[in-house]
Amino acid sequence: MDETVAKSRVLVIDDSAMVRRYIRDALERSRFEVQEAFNGVEAMERVLSTRFDLLVVDVNMPKMDGYAFLHALRGREGELATIPALMTSTEAGPQDMAAAYAAGANYYLVKPVSQDDLIRYANALTGHSP
Amino acid sequence: MNRIDIQRGLADVTDEEVRRLCEFVYRKTGMIFAEEKRYYINRRLAERMAATESTSFQVYFATLRADADNEIEHLINSFTVNETYFYREDHQFRCLTSTLLEVIAPKKRAGEPVRIWSVPCSTGEEPYSIAIWLLENWDKVDRYEIEIVGSDIDTTALRAAETGIYSERALMRLSQDLIARYFTRLDDGRYRILPDLSDTIQFTRANIVDAAQTGAHRNFDVIFCRNILMYFDDTSRRLAAENLYESLRPGGFMCLGHTESMSRITSLFDVCRFSDAIVYRRPLGDPHG
Amino acid sequence: MPLKKRESSHAPEGRAPEPVEVVVGELRHPDPERRWSAARRLGERPGAAAALAAALPGEADPRILEAIFTSLIRLGGEESAPFLLPLLRSDEAALRLGAIEALEAMPAALAAHIEGLLQDPDSDVRIFAVELTRKMPAEQALALLCRMLDREDHPNVCAAAVDVLAEIGSADAAPCLDRCRARFAGQAFLTFAITQALDGLSRTAT
Repeated sequence: MDETVAKSRVLVIDDSAMVRRYIRDALERSRFEVQEAFNGVEAMERVLSTRFDLLVVDVNMPKMDGYAFLHALRGREGELATIPALMTSTEAGPQDMAAAYAAGANYYLVKPVSQDDLIRYANALTGHSP
Repeated sequence: MNRIDIQRGLADVTDEEVRRLCEFVYRKTGMIFAEEKRYYINRRLAERMAATESTSFQVYFATLRADADNEIEHLINSFTVNETYFYREDHQFRCLTSTLLEVIAPKKRAGEPVRIWSVPCSTGEEPYSIAIWLLENWDKVDRYEIEIVGSDIDTTALRAAETGIYSERALMRLSQDLIARYFTRLDDGRYRILPDLSDTIQFTRANIVDAAQTGAHRNFDVIFCRNILMYFDDTSRRLAAENLYESLRPGGFMCLGHTESMSRITSLFDVCRFSDAIVYRRPLGDPHG
Repeated sequence: MPLKKRESSHAPEGRAPEPVEVVVGELRHPDPERRWSAARRLGERPGAAAALAAALPGEADPRILEAIFTSLIRLGGEESAPFLLPLLRSDEAALRLGAIEALEAMPAALAAHIEGLLQDPDSDVRIFAVELTRKMPAEQALALLCRMLDREDHPNVCAAAVDVLAEIGSADAAPCLDRCRARFAGQAFLTFAITQALDGLSRTAT
């Protein structure tokens, strides 16, 4: 791997500590630098302080869920509105996916998500070659 | 077995147990402790295990999860330095003058005051700091009427705030010049704030969890509510956040302590990032927006 | 000195409480400020839980939803829990999540329902029920979750339980975690989560 290539920075937003660990484990093995947030409000605090190349966003989270977070983010000015977002959810219904895309998700993965899929879509959304 | 090494003041706990403790504190409060803080956390943990007479981490952690005798508050208290002194966390005061007031002031009609609330104000260091900071650092301070209210639940603290007498230690962050201009040195070595300044601040009793009491405190442009919400239980802090939201004008700002976050409490406020601080804002106008 | 002194504050006005039906009516007022205020005031009116809960599905403003849930919490689990439990099945994410947070604040009222919720036919409801066990005494949560893990077919529900069991951190969970890992050998996330949890348990002093 070419060490001179800059890492892409990912914010993993999920209230489950285990899910955050799993996603971090996958992405850190594949040229991503990972930070974590517990819910939409904390994610908003983070994205206003640090530049991210990708967001991995769960749907069901306390205080501010993934839909509300993405909706608020897409309404912001500047780069924040366009950070690619990979949404993950335990819900597989078509209306759930429609809600995710309406909120501004770039892709939607149904949990449980495999690490291979995570890496593949993270690469695709950040323009990495695998 | 004695789980605490008395000599070194360290708890005999595994890395995994410290990790679990940190994960729990993060879930509850949003506070993050880096790996290199492990030693520090271990010392605080040892203190709390001793204080609660916990014979093992497992016993202590059960107490913490159940929040028996407000153990979450005690633990967080041990992590944070809860001293009150002048110009504490002054990056937020810088944010106040460099950004917040520049947003708020131009919208004021002639004669309409800029209102700032310091709650809880304890013995007055924070509201006086705000007053001094504004006089020293806001070039438009003469153009606006500014109302500063300091409130606390503790009437003894409020009486001390009105009296305005402080030890040298409380003034450690102030320059000699500021001390000379705003304080009188007393015979006993303490300092008294100038009456001209103490007269400009209104001190009132208020419990931020009580809507009837916060309801008498309205129309604030900026609220400083630092280092209190993180000690409340989930329901109280939720209620306090709604009360404070109501005490703010639409578009008004709220500053929390630098280790605190609204993220475990509420999504009522918009999150704003200014050069010096994260600040929470009551949305302007139509709350549907 | 440009900072102006303010006269002492007006005393809070003491007035008779308004009829509860009037406040309930305000929950449907077109002005969001009025709805917010009504939702807040009803938190101090025992008996108002039904009206508050009834206003939830039609309320689009997330801030007012939050205020309604806070008031339901203030009215207490005995009164509010029966109205919150059905919301765990709502199609609206905001209502499901609001209900979970409110129910978390009323563990006593929940105790009678948790066993049933953990066996609900809807896997999402089971996931929420697992989340609710976080606020229960550790031994009780441990027993409930271990029993559930042995019968649970849905990997996401098991994963939620593993998350809570890892937090509780009792070595007593190890055998049922082992069995669960063996049953779901093909599920990468669950295998990862259980391995992490077991690893943590083994590095925990007893």
